[in-house]
Amino acid sequence: MSSTTTVTKPPKARPTASTVDILNNDTARIYTHIHPILVLSLYVFRFKPIVADPVPTLLNTLILLGILQVAYVSVCLPATGTASTPSVVKPGARKKPGPSKLESNVQGRIIPAFLSLLLSTMVGTPLIGIMLILFGAPLTTHFPHTFLCAAHISLLASIPLIYVHGVDGERWREIVALLLPIDEVFGAALGTFMGAWLGAVPIPLDWDREWQKWPVTIVTGAYIGFAVGKLAGGLLFKGRKISFN
Amino acid sequence: MGGRASSILLAIANLLIPAAVLIFATGFFPYKPFLPGLAKFQELEYGDPPEAPFDKVIFMVVDALRSDFVYSRDSGFKFTQSLISSGAAVPFTAHATSPTITMPRVKAITTGSIPSFLDVILNFAESDTTSTLAHQDTWLAQLKAKENGKLIMYGDDTWLKLFPDTFSRADGTSSFFVSDFTEVDNNVTRHVPEELLASDWNAMIMHYLGLDHIGHKAGPHSSNMLPKQIEMDGIVKDIYDAIENEAHLESTLFVLCGDHGMNDGGNHGGSAPGETSPALVFMSPKLRTITNGTECPTTPTRDFDYYTKIEQSDIAPTLAGLLGFPVPLNNLGVFIPEFLSFWSSGADQVQLLLRNAMQIQTIVKATFPNSDFSRSSQRSSHCESPLSSGDELACKWRTALEILEIAGQDLDPKVCLPPLVEFCKSAQDTMSSTASNYDLSRLALGSAVSFVSVILSLAALRPQVSQITSTGVFFALILVLYGLMMFASSYVEEEQHFWYWTASAWFFYLFLFESRKAWFGNFALHPALMLLALLRVTRRWNQTGQKHAGAPDIVHSAFLNTPLVLWTLIGATYLDITFRLARHIAQSLSESKDNEAENGVPDIARIGGALTVLPLGAMAFLFKLSFTAKDAPELVAGMTGTILGWVEGLSLVGIARLVFWGIGTSMVWLVVSHWRRKRGRKGEQGVESTQEDLDLAIGLFDLLSLFLVTQTRAQNIPLYLIFRAQLFFLTHLNLPPIQITISSLLLSHTSFFALGNSNAISSIDLSNAYNGVAGYNVLAVGLLVFMGNWAGPIYWASVGTLLLGLYEEELSKEKSAKQDPIKIKPWVAAERAQLKMQADADLKTPQDPSSIFTLLTGLSESEQVPSYFFSHIAWLTLFTSFSLLAVMAACTALRTHLFIWTVFSPKYLYAMAWGVAFHLGISIGWGSVMWWASPY
Repeated sequence: MSSTTTVTKPPKARPTASTVDILNNDTARIYTHIHPILVLSLYVFRFKPIVADPVPTLLNTLILLGILQVAYVSVCLPATGTASTPSVVKPGARKKPGPSKLESNVQGRIIPAFLSLLLSTMVGTPLIGIMLILFGAPLTTHFPHTFLCAAHISLLASIPLIYVHGVDGERWREIVALLLPIDEVFGAALGTFMGAWLGAVPIPLDWDREWQKWPVTIVTGAYIGFAVGKLAGGLLFKGRKISFN
Repeated sequence: MGGRASSILLAIANLLIPAAVLIFATGFFPYKPFLPGLAKFQELEYGDPPEAPFDKVIFMVVDALRSDFVYSRDSGFKFTQSLISSGAAVPFTAHATSPTITMPRVKAITTGSIPSFLDVILNFAESDTTSTLAHQDTWLAQLKAKENGKLIMYGDDTWLKLFPDTFSRADGTSSFFVSDFTEVDNNVTRHVPEELLASDWNAMIMHYLGLDHIGHKAGPHSSNMLPKQIEMDGIVKDIYDAIENEAHLESTLFVLCGDHGMNDGGNHGGSAPGETSPALVFMSPKLRTITNGTECPTTPTRDFDYYTKIEQSDIAPTLAGLLGFPVPLNNLGVFIPEFLSFWSSGADQVQLLLRNAMQIQTIVKATFPNSDFSRSSQRSSHCESPLSSGDELACKWRTALEILEIAGQDLDPKVCLPPLVEFCKSAQDTMSSTASNYDLSRLALGSAVSFVSVILSLAALRPQVSQITSTGVFFALILVLYGLMMFASSYVEEEQHFWYWTASAWFFYLFLFESRKAWFGNFALHPALMLLALLRVTRRWNQTGQKHAGAPDIVHSAFLNTPLVLWTLIGATYLDITFRLARHIAQSLSESKDNEAENGVPDIARIGGALTVLPLGAMAFLFKLSFTAKDAPELVAGMTGTILGWVEGLSLVGIARLVFWGIGTSMVWLVVSHWRRKRGRKGEQGVESTQEDLDLAIGLFDLLSLFLVTQTRAQNIPLYLIFRAQLFFLTHLNLPPIQITISSLLLSHTSFFALGNSNAISSIDLSNAYNGVAGYNVLAVGLLVFMGNWAGPIYWASVGTLLLGLYEEELSKEKSAKQDPIKIKPWVAAERAQLKMQADADLKTPQDPSSIFTLLTGLSESEQVPSYFFSHIAWLTLFTSFSLLAVMAACTALRTHLFIWTVFSPKYLYAMAWGVAFHLGISIGWGSVMWWASPY
């Protein structure tokens, strides 16, 4: 995978998005690795109840996942407003203390994090729900299942993306067209979607297990994909661009 | 590598496909030779064969009569049940081996042998001479050979085809329309009273189809099921009463049986317990002498196992014993021991079984020539597993002989019978287990040949394969995953999920691919996403596969309730095709010079086009309507009686022929007029003939669609509207050739399953097999069956070729746009040139510097540059030979798998059809015609 040759008309008139770096402090550097472990542990811990009774369990797991994701983005990631300028600046140079630490944390991190959560739930979930249905999710039955599955995928993939990239239309076009360079946020999102897609594989097998029921495998795939994608995006492929050639 | 070398490689790769298929098939479905001639009673030291209690037989087959239909508490067979309770009837469950379809089952019942899987194919090619039993030993032949032997037959004409010139009086009924529940059976029943009065026959066979039709149409729990059972029970009562009262029927054995059962969906063909458990009842007042009756109705011990479970092949030797004729030569059945008590003398009982065992031993000896069956050799103390199956049987046979020898003339059944039964039963088991029959060297050779084909097609594609692109990776993933999937029975059964899953990803990939080039304004309406949405509709059209068979789908939950919506959509489909055809005809009618102007078709030609095509379209629609009124009346419910009454009076064969004839003539007309115009234009303008178009190819394609729609069941016809919309969005995507190939491959497979097909034999749709065919014409019926079941794939294979032609046309327009730059916006041209370069980078070895020049100038040198169609075929050949290799490897590796006959063998049959009929016949054969019709 070398740099892109496919792009006939590279987006011009704006700086090409660069990779997202983790905030330059020890807490962020440590927590970014603890976070996927926490997310996976949460899922492993809730797996049996999810299989047994998907709808309520997926719903309350969703709340916990939301909290974890909000914590992750506010601890580890540069928020959208801050990200666009410091992403040009080298990570080491970002040591400008704001007016008050608490105030800046609330304004600069917590509020964007909750806004990301809100957008991810209100906008991301329906869009992903529609995609799930287009990819074959049941339409006339299992509506809450599909909806909750979409919500899980959305919270996993889109909270960090919204938090670091904001709601800029042009940027989101690049995200959808996979033109962004890979980093742990983008990698996690890609991993989540790939995992959810691969999660459909065991459904047709004739093992007749409870966990083969909709949408357990999809959600499982999404969680695993999130962790794998985040790790691979942050370490292995960081800075690379996806090439279709 | 030059174009010519690649062509030769590809040609060989394709020639190897049918070779591989044939070699593998002969090893996998070995043709079992049968012993010709009629069996004769052998001279035995124990004297003449024992006297038989019966001299006549009435054999009543009720198609798909599952055991519980007779024996359960909910059964309508109350009279039959009373006979069982009173002892005048002996009930069994007769295990039918897979394939559970009528012809192999009738073979098993009459010859006592276990038909090979090959009979499934022959079942569809019914008049094949190898499948008749005219020269085989059956209980029918034996009864006919008797003094005054005279056979009569009423019912399913399978019997007439299997036994030509056997019956003195016969009236065959064919299961032409599955919706016919009453007429088929009345045609049998009306002969019964007079035949019961006649005394000239010694065997009467009846085969009722109505119950099977009800199963196919509405399943075993249909409201029609109980009335039909009661009707059948009434016939049983009439016959039994006649046997009790008529003197000439005094010694008549009355057998009621099913040829196979049905599953919960009402279908059969596989080996589910319901399908393999038909009922079998022997009835006669004489049976009261040997039995006191059995409790009936009752509950099964397991699934559908009521009473004693026997093999279906046991019917033949049992009839032989009870009616006093030698056991048929190829029989592998065992005389049912319950009936031995008809003979009071123990010697007679032993003799009966000994003759049965001797006959089986002849076959066993022929199968295992290396095992020692002679009486003189040493008897081993135990005949258990360490021995080969042949030696084990030989050992059991020697044991039985030794015991008989010791017994001398004093045959005690308690001592002599068990070893004989033991031998017969193990021989039956061994001979019916197919594992011993594979010809492994042929299996390996067949797989090797398809492997060579894979390598050759890869070699033909070498310049393209050597470049790694994401599209290439996608294709490779399809290959690898599909190959792996063939080894898992559930994925074979649920193959549609693989294609739906891959095709969804593919359309999303196309969306990403296009989005990276330029952002589509209204991205929610992006052509690729519309393709995805339409695919989502088609995949719910028909629920297919095994796991969720019978789950709600669009056809069953929407159209069955609202036939009007269905027919509106069908009408729209026909109108769409008719209008398109009218345009083609109009164009062909107009003079060549008018064609140069934009929309220069004169009104008179348009009217002419419409007038010629409208009758064809109307006739095709009428055919569908009248056919459906007979085949699936539930789909025309709610239509006014006058229309239906008028429609039902039409001759289906006649209209179908007219439609086919109209399509054929139109094709010829289009070709001829196209050729004339081309020639005229050349004469007029000399060199300038570049402005050609795809008219002819599109015209042929639209005529083909009309044919395919005719070969499709009514409820699936609206799918063609969706296909048309998908085609529309595909043309908007402007795909490069390799992506066209992949799209056509994926849509071929998704449409195959969307039309309701699966990898099970039972899902083969025969309803359109006899359109326009009056008699038996294997070739025509086979072709129509293929066209009907592969209609979707044929459609999409043609689209693939069409899109390649369109792609070329775009390129040539670009070329002319260079001379006339106003026509196309410069950036469009630039992008197309870019695309073209990328596409052609795939096509050529990169070190060939002249190639890009060739492309830019647009001068194609066919010697060096393989055409798009060539690469298209090469990719498809790679897929076909690879999938064949995977199926062959799976069938070889899993030949002892439990599901080999139910899942993997049917898959092999489907792979044969995909490889030979679809790939060679349609993708290459018909594709070449379409490509030739494109101007480039």
